[in-house]
Amino acid sequence: MNAIEVRDLRKEFKAYSSRSGLKGAFRDLLTRNYKIVPAVNDISFAVKQGEMVGYIGENGAGKSTTIKMLTGILTPTSGSITVNGMNPHKEREKFVQTIGVVFGQRSQLWWDIAVQESFRLLKKVYKVSDAHYNEHMDHVIKTLDIEPLLDKPVRKLSLGQRMRCELAAALIHNPPLLFLDEPTIGLDVLVKLKIRDFLKEINEKYNTTILLTTHDLTDIEALCERVVMLDEGKVIYDGSLKSMKENWAEGKEIQFEFLESAELTQLERLTAGMQVKWEIDEKSRIFSALTGDDDELVSQVIAKTVASHKVKDVKINEPSTEEIIRNIYERGMV
Amino acid sequence: MFYFTMFFQYIGQYMKTRLEYRADLVVEIVSDLLSQAINLIFILVVFGHTDFLNGWTREEIIFIYGFFLVPYALFTSFFNIWDFNERYIVKGELDRILTRPVHSLFQVILERMELESLFGAVTGLAVMFYSGSRLGLEVNWYDPLLFALFVLGGVLVYAGIFIMIACISFWADARTSIMPMMYNIGNYGRYPVDIYNKVIRFVLTWVLPFAFVGVYPAAFFLGRKEWYFYSFLTPLIGLVFFGVSVMLWNKGVKKYSGAGN
Repeated sequence: MNAIEVRDLRKEFKAYSSRSGLKGAFRDLLTRNYKIVPAVNDISFAVKQGEMVGYIGENGAGKSTTIKMLTGILTPTSGSITVNGMNPHKEREKFVQTIGVVFGQRSQLWWDIAVQESFRLLKKVYKVSDAHYNEHMDHVIKTLDIEPLLDKPVRKLSLGQRMRCELAAALIHNPPLLFLDEPTIGLDVLVKLKIRDFLKEINEKYNTTILLTTHDLTDIEALCERVVMLDEGKVIYDGSLKSMKENWAEGKEIQFEFLESAELTQLERLTAGMQVKWEIDEKSRIFSALTGDDDELVSQVIAKTVASHKVKDVKINEPSTEEIIRNIYERGMV
Repeated sequence: MFYFTMFFQYIGQYMKTRLEYRADLVVEIVSDLLSQAINLIFILVVFGHTDFLNGWTREEIIFIYGFFLVPYALFTSFFNIWDFNERYIVKGELDRILTRPVHSLFQVILERMELESLFGAVTGLAVMFYSGSRLGLEVNWYDPLLFALFVLGGVLVYAGIFIMIACISFWADARTSIMPMMYNIGNYGRYPVDIYNKVIRFVLTWVLPFAFVGVYPAAFFLGRKEWYFYSFLTPLIGLVFFGVSVMLWNKGVKKYSGAGN
């Protein structure tokens, strides 16, 4: 069964533009210029129950708008959405019972009251029985390690502590589908790791579907097998992270640091006839050779360079997911 | 039933929040009581110089004012939506509201209640009993029931009007100055409407029916038969305005376009 099914989903916003000058301001009073801008432009995709999907894109690509439509906050301009077998904005109150939402930049908890009071209130809001709550939340609280925070008011928590509590709050009713909008924004590495492990665990334990948007691609690498990539409101890639890497990786980079000073032209002459491009970082005197995917070429370049120069350090870098994605954006469509 | 439990859950939570800041709570209660006392003195001083106003005696006018304070206090306790635009639309708090399985308006009301304002109702009742005893009014067995009904009607009138104004934010997200203006107009309802000219009276009865919060229902208890029709219209007007405002709200939520991050 598909947890999420989206077909030809579209959301348009009116973008007003003001004319310049005082005269323009008066004209704006009477008739305002506006353009209809599609924030989400006829996208279609489906997510199976139990999948963890990374939903990525630049700022303003339409990620948040999509999430808001999927959670029933916004009404789409056209197209159809079925999430957990329901139409989110039509049966909102019944629908939200089946999802959990974490907005990294907004708090779900009540600012002034202790965390456990917030939990208690949410438990009533979602009509969770005591037995269910105890069984499920004991585990969540233990895994996220928030036991000592429960009696503190939310405003006294650090960002990392708050975020773990937010996550727990979103899971009080143990929803089969979880939306996470930038859940690790501004968090330190340890908290990030904890949150990732936790997400993996609930995914395995309850077969929870997770849709995640983030700017931190290491989150995606750690969690998601599949990514959906958005640009200007359109889906430009939908598939496994691995095949994206394979298709878009552009060779390797070998970094050299030499003991003695070296010249770029010298190195270029050395590897003449090979598919190599040399670059130099003037400040740190690091020379890098960009090669194709051919592994043999890599070793040849290293052999030749090492034979003629004294080397302090050699590194072989594969392009990071981040670089690959930047590449895709720069060059446009997949 | 679910909404009933939720209501008390939120009130419980509200109490806890208040008790967190014990010093704050004490200061607030003292200042509330103080401002109510000043209010009371103010009424007596202002109306001390008028004996008759278009056929209304001083005591009657004070009585109407006292009645007005009761629905008004209930309204300000539970319908603190004057900053709805800023708090929920501009800051995007409505996103959070909309991801919970409770009606959005109900949640906003519960989150924003300020029970301290209920002290105003005490002042109102005190004023009514003071002026009522000077007028020699008797309390019949049905009076408390009708009083409750009329007060409820008045609260719904107020709530309806202010919810409708809050709904403007769904369509136009710029801030408007209608809210404070409306609070001013609301004050006109606490004086006998026949002292105003016909147009204003019409507006206060049918367009912005603030007269149903003060003078119309109070006239019943003053035994003014010529106003009885309007007195008994109070609950109906309240229901109509509140009903329309909720419908408008539901429509507005569909139009809501959210705030960016």
